[in-house]
Amino acid sequence: MIQMEPLLSLCLAGSKRQFSAGDELVCEYQIDAVDPNEIQAVEASVLWYTEGKGEEDLGVHFFERRLPSDAEDGDLRPMRRFRTKLPNSPLSYNGAILSIHWSVRLRLFLRRGKEFVLEQPFILGAVPPARLEVGEEESANGKPADETSDKGQSE
Amino acid sequence: MARLFRLLEKKRGARRTGSNLVGSLGEALFCGGLFLLGALSLSSVVAANLRHPEPEAYSLGFGFWLTILVLSSFVITGASGLMWTVFRIGTSAERRTVMAQQAARLDLLNPAAPQPRDYPNVPSHEGLINSPGTELAYRLPPAQSPGWRLLATTVFALVWNGVGCVLMVWAIKSHLLGRPEWFLTVFLAPYLCVSAWSIHYLLRLIWVHTGMGPTTLEISDHPLLPGHEYQVTLLQHGHITVRSLQLWLLCEEEATYHQGTDIRTELRVVYQQRLFQQTDFEIEPSQPFQQTATFTMPATAMHSFQSAHNAVHWKLLVKGTVAGWPDFERAFALVVYPGQATSQISPLPSALTDSRRPRSEAPTRAEVGA
Repeated sequence: MIQMEPLLSLCLAGSKRQFSAGDELVCEYQIDAVDPNEIQAVEASVLWYTEGKGEEDLGVHFFERRLPSDAEDGDLRPMRRFRTKLPNSPLSYNGAILSIHWSVRLRLFLRRGKEFVLEQPFILGAVPPARLEVGEEESANGKPADETSDKGQSE
Repeated sequence: MARLFRLLEKKRGARRTGSNLVGSLGEALFCGGLFLLGALSLSSVVAANLRHPEPEAYSLGFGFWLTILVLSSFVITGASGLMWTVFRIGTSAERRTVMAQQAARLDLLNPAAPQPRDYPNVPSHEGLINSPGTELAYRLPPAQSPGWRLLATTVFALVWNGVGCVLMVWAIKSHLLGRPEWFLTVFLAPYLCVSAWSIHYLLRLIWVHTGMGPTTLEISDHPLLPGHEYQVTLLQHGHITVRSLQLWLLCEEEATYHQGTDIRTELRVVYQQRLFQQTDFEIEPSQPFQQTATFTMPATAMHSFQSAHNAVHWKLLVKGTVAGWPDFERAFALVVYPGQATSQISPLPSALTDSRRPRSEAPTRAEVGA
């Protein structure tokens, strides 16, 4: 017997994937190809996370967890829309050893302990990618472009 | 199917490449086993002593109480680990983060905790504007207090050299008595090299700390906004002949990560601008050096950012080369808020570089499954 995986669909309203701080983000999601009685919970979140040399940090701006008891007829599959006003910070950033990414994440929990995740990234703000920019008065005495320093600390 | 047979998996900080469920199950089994071992052993030891009490076993030191202590630590470690693992099973990272954020907002023990602000994850600037300046609006505090470094170096030098003195007396005595301790004598050679270095480093720090004179920076406004112009005044005190004195505006990224049992921090400068440089001049105690510079924060600058393991810092850095003194650097932290040019997207996407431009204008829809 072939067992199909549930179908998750996540959609940002409008065609743009880049937003200003304070903009309203409207998002729709829908679940299909799964028995409604199999669904334990659905979580939708708007979040940022870091990527790069350091350990990953995560910040959640919007979070909604829905159980079957929250839905009409206990069915969490029909399309649901949520909206949230985006914060002033942190803005999306693509740095040398650190990047900040924003995304909408949909997580589906099934009764047997299985989880399915779908993510829709977007950009908040318009910070250009970092590269070593040197002010106009820079001279040979300045720090080299790829200067990196390590500080070790024993746990 | 291959995952079932994978014995080794790579762990990257809090992230794992293997199955979370299997990992959590393993953690739960380990913690549960530790708890059971501790609880059973502890209860049997206590029960045995209650049935056949031995008063001498209760004396302080090794023995009964040490056994109780070790077994109790097993019980506590196992129970807390098991509870933490159970709490995490079936709970997403987002939900845990939300719970942690809500707990942080309800910090009843710290009434002085800052209220939610309009700029999440931008560090607070409250500690940077509580000292008014004499020339400009605010006097900036140094980012690193030299006192702590001096104290740590002093403690290290005292302990290291104290032990060194004892070892040296021991070694000399053995030679005088005609029973030379050769291993100790050879071991003392590198030990005394470190002693000499620690004394040299301590004296150098004391010299710089006491004789160089304080560096003061004042700024016309704070926090800083990209695209705005600011004035900064540098005052350098002391009685020194300066070869070169520079003031830099820097932005650096900071990333903290685990490497084995170490916590490492990496810094990377992503922006630097020299605000001024003065060479070959003298500073008298009665006449401190004073220089004012004007600078404009780059309009598209990334704002200051602080999270648990990552940060973007802005700072002013004073670099000095002084005749007869070691070179010195003194940093002063700044807080930069998001600016208009970076918070608001321009109507024309040409402001973005190719790497950041959305790859297509197709409807932003994602699907997975089936």
